[in-house]
Amino acid sequence: MNIDRVSGQVLSGPLEPIYVYEAPVRLWHWVMMVAMLVLAATGYLIGSPPPSIGGEATFSYFFAWIRMIHFIAAMIFAVAFLVRIYWAFVGNHSSRAIFLPPVWSGRWWRGLFNQVAYYLFLKKEPDLWVGHNPLAQLAMFAMYTLGTLFIIVTGLALYAQQWGWGTWPMNVMGWVFVLFGDPQEVRTWHHLAMWYLLLFAVIHVYMVFREDIMSGESVIGTMTNGIRMWKRAPKP
Amino acid sequence: MSETYYDLMRRQGISRRSFLKFCSLTAASLGLSEAGAQQIAQAMQTKPRTPVVWLHGLECTCCTESFIRSAHPLAKDVVLSMLSLDYDDTLMAAAGHQAEEALEQTIAKYKGNYILAVEGNPPLADDGIYCIPGGRPFVDKLRHVAKDAKAIVSWGSCASWGCVQAAKPNPTRATPVHKVITDKPIIKVPGCPPIAEVMTGVVTYILTFDRLPDLDAQGRPKMFYSQRIHDKCYRRPHFDAGQFVEHFDDAGARMGYCLYKVGCKGPVTYNACSALRWNDGLSFPIQSGHGCIGCSEDAFWDKGSFYDHLTTIRPPGGLGIEGTADRIGLGAVAVAGAAIAAHAAVSAIKQARSKTRNDKVSEAEK
Amino acid sequence: MATIQTQGFTLDNSGKRIVVDPITRIEGHLRIEVNVDRDNVIRNAVSTGTMWRGLEVILKGRDPRDAWAFVERICGVCTGVHALASVRSVEDALAIRIPKNANIIRNLMHATLYAQDHLVHFYHLHALDWVDVVSALKADPKKTSELQQSISPWPNSSPGYFREVQSRLKKFVESGQLGIFANGYWGSPAYKLPPEANLMATTHYLEALDFQKEIVKIQTIFGGKNPHPNWLVGGVPSPINVDGTGAVGAVNMVNLNMVRDICDRTIEFVDQVYLPDLLAVASFYKDWAKIGGGLSGQNVMAYGDFPDIPNDYSNNSMLLPSGVILGGDLKKVHDVDLKAPDQVQEWVTHSWYKQAQEQNGLHPFDGVTEPNFVLGPATKGTRTNIENVDENAKYSWVKSPRWKGHAVEVGPLARYLVAYARGNKEIVEQVNGALKALDVPVTALFSTLGRTAARGLECQWAAHKMRYFHDQLMANIKAGDLTTANVEKWEPSTWPKEAKGVAPCEAPRGALAHWVKIKDTKIDSYQCVVPTTWNAGPRDAKGQIGAYEAALLNTPMVNPTQPLEILRTIHSFDPCLACATH
Ligand code: HEM
Ligand code: HEM
Ligand code: NFV
Ligand code: SF4
Ligand code: SF4
Ligand code: F3S
Ligand SMILES: [Mg+2]
Repeated sequence: MNIDRVSGQVLSGPLEPIYVYEAPVRLWHWVMMVAMLVLAATGYLIGSPPPSIGGEATFSYFFAWIRMIHFIAAMIFAVAFLVRIYWAFVGNHSSRAIFLPPVWSGRWWRGLFNQVAYYLFLKKEPDLWVGHNPLAQLAMFAMYTLGTLFIIVTGLALYAQQWGWGTWPMNVMGWVFVLFGDPQEVRTWHHLAMWYLLLFAVIHVYMVFREDIMSGESVIGTMTNGIRMWKRAPKP
Repeated sequence: MSETYYDLMRRQGISRRSFLKFCSLTAASLGLSEAGAQQIAQAMQTKPRTPVVWLHGLECTCCTESFIRSAHPLAKDVVLSMLSLDYDDTLMAAAGHQAEEALEQTIAKYKGNYILAVEGNPPLADDGIYCIPGGRPFVDKLRHVAKDAKAIVSWGSCASWGCVQAAKPNPTRATPVHKVITDKPIIKVPGCPPIAEVMTGVVTYILTFDRLPDLDAQGRPKMFYSQRIHDKCYRRPHFDAGQFVEHFDDAGARMGYCLYKVGCKGPVTYNACSALRWNDGLSFPIQSGHGCIGCSEDAFWDKGSFYDHLTTIRPPGGLGIEGTADRIGLGAVAVAGAAIAAHAAVSAIKQARSKTRNDKVSEAEK
Repeated sequence: MATIQTQGFTLDNSGKRIVVDPITRIEGHLRIEVNVDRDNVIRNAVSTGTMWRGLEVILKGRDPRDAWAFVERICGVCTGVHALASVRSVEDALAIRIPKNANIIRNLMHATLYAQDHLVHFYHLHALDWVDVVSALKADPKKTSELQQSISPWPNSSPGYFREVQSRLKKFVESGQLGIFANGYWGSPAYKLPPEANLMATTHYLEALDFQKEIVKIQTIFGGKNPHPNWLVGGVPSPINVDGTGAVGAVNMVNLNMVRDICDRTIEFVDQVYLPDLLAVASFYKDWAKIGGGLSGQNVMAYGDFPDIPNDYSNNSMLLPSGVILGGDLKKVHDVDLKAPDQVQEWVTHSWYKQAQEQNGLHPFDGVTEPNFVLGPATKGTRTNIENVDENAKYSWVKSPRWKGHAVEVGPLARYLVAYARGNKEIVEQVNGALKALDVPVTALFSTLGRTAARGLECQWAAHKMRYFHDQLMANIKAGDLTTANVEKWEPSTWPKEAKGVAPCEAPRGALAHWVKIKDTKIDSYQCVVPTTWNAGPRDAKGQIGAYEAALLNTPMVNPTQPLEILRTIHSFDPCLACATH
């Protein structure tokens, strides 16, 4: 089996199953997904709280729970991201994909255009890729990786506020407010970043199902058992 | 003989004994010896009052109005005994030439030793002609006085950030002081206006401890601006409980629920209101039923309605799109969803077609 | 230049030109240029507003419910009045009716501002024109005490008290650091008070400085802070709760008691300190009852304020009535209609703005605010270093508003003349009492002194009205009405596609109104015509002068290098230039 080492394109057969997503990546993917959905739900509610509840304030901690869940999920989300970054250093070739699109590879760029043409129904069949196809990879980097980094940074900054300027959390995160000018701006961008990530998720999930059905590779299965299976040979 | 800080303390009923004790405590806190304490006592008994020049640019003069509301210390004690307000167009007796002369005298006599307090800000558009006291652009006067100042205090949101005249589209290009004067220590005391006791508190801190206060990364004294309204808001338990005022004057409003849903910007506003409160500790916006509008924050005018929690975003380019993050985000996801549905449909059709073709081919092959 | 005749005045700019810039002890930036003849009498006067911020431009496209906060920042001295004018205009546009409590609370907050603003003006912005602080050092504290006790029952009157203030003052002066008193006109023969009166007034300068901050606490209770309290379209933001759960989180019994207390103390201070001081000082400056009248003897105008009946801004309801007096004819009061296109109009012929046809005035619903800084050919100096302005061209950031083409004066004196002419019983009595005490005829009101006296009387009126409104509030709460806001039309979705509104307001310095046009739930146009715009404005297309310029004419100066007389007359208007230009 002949594979381009840089872009991960399968050039020629014979095709055999390949171990692509190592267990930590797979585990991370599903944990992260749950965390993100919880974050989006609670985050939305933080921005637009549900109707007020009555009674004594002493006996209710409702809104604080929403925020607490957001923060717990946020910590899981952030730590998972750190672990994922660590794994990019120690894991296999595919583990680096979402951090480093090989923009220096001509083959990768050709693959990108082919993939776009394929989705525009200008090309019948896509190329075969061990990891993500270049378009998916680009989307994952630009939308998921950068978006996640952004939401974590702004989120941690918002979180640090409760300690105030001059405390260590603000010494670490205060620059974010200086950069954005004021905290309401940070808040707004954090909120916008949620929609950026949700936009990615929607497209991603569609593509995952579509490719699982239509492309020449296994897809969903790959994120469960890590193994890429092939349904046909690469086009010459 | 010049009146000194010592005189002031004596007049305020502090005995010589406790004055000396104060000096040695100050010395101890600075890590100085008994000789150091004597030095401090000596300085306090002989030092003239610190001269202050108070300039006004584009402004509403409400920082001055706030200042004279100070209860502890009283504004009159600050002005008569603590410092020497050598120039302030709003309060000084002299006018015209005599006023300008007083200004030049102070600059000449106290080169490098006076404090410049600025209320309002300079407009920079069109050579600065939107503010021309004395027939000349205010920005020139500001630069001139700043040159020999020891430090600058930027009063209020105007001097600190730009404030209302700098709200979009900022027709005069009103510009905060720190963007014009870049070579002097600047203490921002934002707020529209700042709390009176915060203003006099900053002044007395400088005079008492003979040093400038510790500032945060935005240049505001940490002692008053390091925490949010929300962090010390007495309505916080209602926030945590999820008990919100839904409309002004509803049952929740009468019970003092949290004002978050009617736009309170307490969670994103750094100021001392919820802790020190206003007018001798009497109340503050939230206590009187209106949300915080964020008046001590940069550009708080341009974040959408004061009654919305989420900022109204107007993307550049004037596309006419405007809405909150939710409206814009939901819109984008909806567009993506529609595109996906269309794409999925086309894909399914293509798939079905190629399948029948394949079937035909394989049939033919049989 | 030859002489010019306008409105019965003669302008002659041939004499020596004197520039006073900055005019200090005012709000904002004002420049006055005058020409004096050989006898040092002012024969030409030019008033120039030297700042502009563009609030009307900034408001475009904003949420009308937010406008009050923006326009409130037009001025922190008359803090809150623009907010009041704004919420009223928006309510007029959207046909929102405010509840009774909201009306009472607004009146109470407004009267509170009158009391504080007038008091601060008299002592801290105006007094040094009449009071020689340095002369107070020569006073005999015992005699000062006698003087004090002879004019009022105010308890701070012992010789020891005045001696202490005097010794503090002495120390201050001896320190050589005169601070705000440096370079004042001390010792000028224009000062007429004996040392004892100077010491008394100086003492009260300090007392008033301490006390004014107590008055505004009423605004703090209902508006959360002062300066710049909070307001609300549809009512007031502070809910009332006197006996229910969580009352401590709303306006409650404790707050209401405090309000009551402040009302009482304000009345006491104004009755026992401000008014006696005013009369005492005035009695030494009676010659100023003949100087500085300007337009006041001709045309004055008031929009009226303090609606006793919520949402009713007719003279049926307003405790200070509206009206215009023309040609000094107190027998005929004209009605004001803010929506009539031919009544209130603004000119920019001599202002640093441009519009299509500058010989025409524009009604504020059609108003335009577009800056255009150009100087006339006779200007001395340069664009960024003006020595003398050219009053035949554009020369001020203030526009020139006119009522049916007439230049009018606004302010406490105008309000009092209108109320007097309308036969308002309280005010007629108050005015006649003061005239009698000073032994001057009613025409003495048309003067610098009259302006200053009217403000004092109005302060007293306002202080007593504070208590009146508080009583009303208590009675209404007692009757079971707790409502403070009407939120029926809070949501923009309930608004018409297009709407416009304006409502009257009387700011401490005079007639104020904001004209708002709303389109698709956003502000389409916003125009403010402000008291100091009326008074400080430059000439109009016909060359008619405004109130400041008129009032300075024919004033003899003791020493033209010391602008005391100019300050006296200009200060008698209580200028606010941030307001005037906005
Ligand atoms: C996928 C990830 C995340 C999503 C979708 C998300 C979403 C949101 C949203 C929509 C809000 C409401 C903002 C508003 O009021 O307009 C919010 C608030 C917040 N988020 Fe996140 N967030 C995410 C991750 C994080 C992370 C990693 C942190 C880090 C600790 C964080 C901390 C916060 C904080 C502190 C707030 C403000 C809560 C408050 O003011 O009560 N978020 N988030
Ligand atoms: C919040 C939602 C989701 C996010 C943010 C997300 C994010 C990601 C990311 C970043 C990757 C790349 C992993 C890597 O290369 O390290 C990935 C891969 C993948 N995800 Fe998700 N995912 C989400 C939901 C889902 C769901 C619901 C499914 C399936 C039902 C799914 C199936 C997959 C599959 C199959 C891959 C591997 C794609 C390939 O083989 O090229 N994801 N996802
Ligand atoms: N002129 C004026 Fe004002 C007042 N009074 C407002 O409308 O002062 Ni700043
Ligand atoms: S900061 Fe606000 S209060 Fe101070 S002068 Fe500016 S507008 Fe007025
Ligand atoms: S009222 Fe405002 S500051 Fe107070 S808890 Fe609620 S959101 Fe926070
Ligand atoms: S509006 Fe301003 S006054 Fe304080 S509570 Fe908010 S910072
Ligand atoms: Mg205007």
